[in-house]
Amino acid sequence: MIKKVFEKPLNFLETILFLDFIKGMSITIKQAFTKTITTHYPYEKLTPPKRFRGFFGHKTVNGLEPQPAFDEWVERMKIEPRPGQSRCVVCYLCKKACPVPDLFEIDGQKLENGKKVVSVFNMNLMLCTFCGLCVDACPVDCLFQSDIHETASFSRKDSILNLEKLEAIGKSWQDRREHEPDRIWIDDDARQALWRENKLNLKKVDNA
Amino acid sequence: MSIVALGIIIAIKVVVILAIILGIGAYLTLVERKVAAHIQRRPGPMVVGWHGLLQPLADGIKLLTKEDILPSSANQVLYNLAIIMALVPASLVFAVVPFGPEIHVFGYDVKPILTDVNIGIIMAFAFGSLAVYGVALSGWASNSKYALIGALRKAGIIISYEVVITFAALGPIMLAKSLSTYDIVMAQIHQKVWYIFLQPISFVVFVFALLAETGRVPFDIQEAEAELVTGFTVEYGGMKFGLFPLVEWYVEVLSLSSILTVLYLGGWSPINIPFVGFVDPLFFLGPWSGFIWFIIKVTILFLLVLWLHWTLPRYRIDQITTIAWKVMLPLALFNILITAFIAPLLRG
Amino acid sequence: MQASERTLNEIKAKLPYVEVKKDKLLSVVYVQKELLINTLKAIKEDFGFKLFIDHSVVDTLEAQNRFEAFYILYNVDTKERIVVKTRTEHSLPSAEKLWFAAKWAERECYDMFGINYEGHEHLVRAFMWDTYSHHPLRKDFPLQGYETVELPSLNETVFGDTLSGTMNYRRTHTYVPTLKDLEYTERNRIKKKAQVVLNWGPLHPGTHGTMWFLFDLEGERIVQTDVILGQLHRGVEKLAEHEPYQQFLVYTDRMDYISALCSNQAWTVAVERLLGIEDIVPLKAKYIRTMMSELQRINSHLLWLGTYALDLGALTIFLYAFKEREKIMDIIEGITGARLTISYTRIGGVRMDLPEGALEVIESFIKFFPKELKDWEKILSRNRIWVKRNKDVGVLSKEDIYFYGLTGAVARGSGVFYDIRKLEPYDAYSMVEFDVPLGENGDCYDRYLVRIEEMKQSIRIIEQCVQKLKTMSPNEPFMAESQDPKKLKLTLDGIGLKVPAGEIYSSGENPRGELGFYINSKGGLKPYRVKIRPGSFYNLCVYPHLMENRYVADAVTILASLDPVVGEVDR
Repeated sequence: MIKKVFEKPLNFLETILFLDFIKGMSITIKQAFTKTITTHYPYEKLTPPKRFRGFFGHKTVNGLEPQPAFDEWVERMKIEPRPGQSRCVVCYLCKKACPVPDLFEIDGQKLENGKKVVSVFNMNLMLCTFCGLCVDACPVDCLFQSDIHETASFSRKDSILNLEKLEAIGKSWQDRREHEPDRIWIDDDARQALWRENKLNLKKVDNA
Repeated sequence: MSIVALGIIIAIKVVVILAIILGIGAYLTLVERKVAAHIQRRPGPMVVGWHGLLQPLADGIKLLTKEDILPSSANQVLYNLAIIMALVPASLVFAVVPFGPEIHVFGYDVKPILTDVNIGIIMAFAFGSLAVYGVALSGWASNSKYALIGALRKAGIIISYEVVITFAALGPIMLAKSLSTYDIVMAQIHQKVWYIFLQPISFVVFVFALLAETGRVPFDIQEAEAELVTGFTVEYGGMKFGLFPLVEWYVEVLSLSSILTVLYLGGWSPINIPFVGFVDPLFFLGPWSGFIWFIIKVTILFLLVLWLHWTLPRYRIDQITTIAWKVMLPLALFNILITAFIAPLLRG
Repeated sequence: MQASERTLNEIKAKLPYVEVKKDKLLSVVYVQKELLINTLKAIKEDFGFKLFIDHSVVDTLEAQNRFEAFYILYNVDTKERIVVKTRTEHSLPSAEKLWFAAKWAERECYDMFGINYEGHEHLVRAFMWDTYSHHPLRKDFPLQGYETVELPSLNETVFGDTLSGTMNYRRTHTYVPTLKDLEYTERNRIKKKAQVVLNWGPLHPGTHGTMWFLFDLEGERIVQTDVILGQLHRGVEKLAEHEPYQQFLVYTDRMDYISALCSNQAWTVAVERLLGIEDIVPLKAKYIRTMMSELQRINSHLLWLGTYALDLGALTIFLYAFKEREKIMDIIEGITGARLTISYTRIGGVRMDLPEGALEVIESFIKFFPKELKDWEKILSRNRIWVKRNKDVGVLSKEDIYFYGLTGAVARGSGVFYDIRKLEPYDAYSMVEFDVPLGENGDCYDRYLVRIEEMKQSIRIIEQCVQKLKTMSPNEPFMAESQDPKKLKLTLDGIGLKVPAGEIYSSGENPRGELGFYINSKGGLKPYRVKIRPGSFYNLCVYPHLMENRYVADAVTILASLDPVVGEVDR
């Protein structure tokens, strides 16, 4: 329950032979001849894990929506689902779940047949904390966070994600990574640079 | 030998030595960065040139093209003078460093030493002590409290360790019965023993004093970036800033390592078996093997300094001076006492 | 643990003028303002509630005696916590003679509520600058402040951008301190005692953030130290009053940003206790939280070790520590999606189940890490320079710990057995085995040893958690199901989570000390008042005392061994 910690002083021999220095130096020299662990960013890049909370995106209607939630919400909000375009049902739950609600600007548009589609969906990422509460709130698995992590931009305008950008991110995500299994990360060479010394052997999973 | 020839030889020597110091000094920054990086499991500079081989050049260009900033309330004359005061004495030490044995070129016998004065060692330490002016001036002229504290610390260290280093060096001097650097090496060759074997205490003291004089870990308190940012160089920018570490960490380390090689490691002599003789695996180089041995020894010492630098923590100012006066100085004096008994037993 | 009925009755018997109340969550002693100091003194000296935990004020907005002040005290021997409460209109007697820590807490209340403390030695603002004229935590101060200053954007002035659209730069800004204000604030400090005043900070590598120290120097000896805080003050407590419980989680990330998961955990546990659902949180979630926050503890201690060694000149340890830290970051990133501001726990569970491969990775990490740690110890622990720099520097006695309200590794370094994980176990800490390292001398070296040992103990905890989690099937729930979903809504996003009226003080053992949350709920979606008890804030308050007659070089040693994080100090 209690563990006392205390100093172990050097004895005389250790003092005059500088054994403390020699021990330390033996470790540093050992490390000097071990392989380096650096990832040479930006020449090499790590693939972020699938759960990475980066830039936002809108998944598009492609037949893989979570059912029956999607149909229920489409009916409730009177939404016209358009294949290849955002799944958003204009429910404002993301805005409600957000600690900084100001960053969302959402609006729907009435179509002639009386149904609705999302017309404005702006996210001002200058205000965003990337906490992911909005993603948790999304009932139709539309809003999600992608693996885009290089988010620097030259003007404030670039940090606002509008519907087109969100859909484009969503589409590329669906092409690239959606089908990946829920793994901690992809065990590629770049990742191994750091983890090699741990002799980590993750099960190989085919990404097909 | 005519006066003209003598003048030409000296001029060539000066040019060669300066080129060596400044050229190698610049490239030692790369060596240090690489050594530090690999100790820390990084590759170090990799982008400019093959494995960062052109990095010192890029650094130099960057530093030279930076805006020259003068702090508004700094003393302009002293501020600039400090750089010269730091650079010149450190380089002057090389005037008394013998790089190799006497060689025969173009019909002349040339000693590869700028001036073989008979008080070479004293000159070296005198120039070493002068270095404190550069530091003190830069600290004062910058008009910054951090710079001032850093300068005071450095001055305190140099004053303490100048005493220690001189007393430590007295041992080899007594054994060699000479103050000339060239003669000390010759004495070791004649006596067939490196003085490190006869003077282990003095050697250790000298190594630590070397670290202290050059502001290397564990005595780098004048820089101490955690508390003083970079100490006395804090108000300098561009190449002016670049010169201080160049002088302190490279030129001074090189010069003092050379002196240490001369005093304890037999200068240019090959591997020594005490009192038996010398073994030279580089015999095929003829007279040039001496130079290579000298370079090897200095390189090993430099790498040792780096190795220590990137392993150990640093002392506090009061602990450093305490060690100097209460541990190292008595040890050095004790060593002199012992040497006084050994010295008459040596031939030569 | 709250003070027992018996203790309260004893207090009542000894001090007949107080009123005592005990409910499930808090044991409270009510006292008149005039008798406050006597009561506190009696409770401290006669009943052994020596350790100062926290003091703050709640603005009740009532017409009479508007402010309710509370003092939270702890008895280390009987492991009891007690809350002393009093009401006031605008002033309180100062408790600075009883606890130094109260001095800082009182400065904060003066700053935030405008309470005048009678007998306070140096009553200046804690976080805001001295010329600031409002008291932000009062209920009548609007969340967005008073936007009075025009700050045109460069885009507007240089490029003629009209800033149209709602999602652009806002021109008006709340009052911003000018250089003059800061100068005034600096001048308004304690009377200087020496000729040379060294401004150490606000931006200085040795302060590990934006703290502003003023050292009065006599040569290199420091005669007097003063601290100016508030460079990172973001009004987290004010924000808490305006955010639903789940959403405030996001702000706990940004307080102690180095150990975000531990702060997350402390907050969720506090709310769960207030809701009374601590028991229905699934075992799996508890183990995951425990495991993750222990990983975070190692992570945080590694940062401490690296910067500590860096401050003392051992430059290489920094990168070694960061190498291992990077691995933990990788693990946390893979499991939660973020590296620094993690927001992983949820009220009632965790955000996501562990992904595939997580346990294998963690296992390989805890197998390798102890070897590395041993290597670093070989470089440092017995190194004569390291010992010389740390031994007998910044010595804290047990009495100091109580007097300055110190917690965490700082308290344990002085041999005070104070570890919330043992005293008041939350999540799975009661189900795992671990030791609490205690130092002897209370100097920097002991604190160093304690933290190193804590990392090893964390490894032990993680090992046990991994073993346990391996036996659990992936289908087990990681979020609590509330028995009556209509009454209590537990969702991942936390929309519509209503909390019953009540008060609680609940704390977690953060790497930097006890992180406590005093939550005052009047029912509903948002808390009425949240007082955060930051470990770093109180650990920092001993710094001026420790720096007396030390050298500038010790400033980094002592500061790093106290290990404050500015995000938590300033909130």
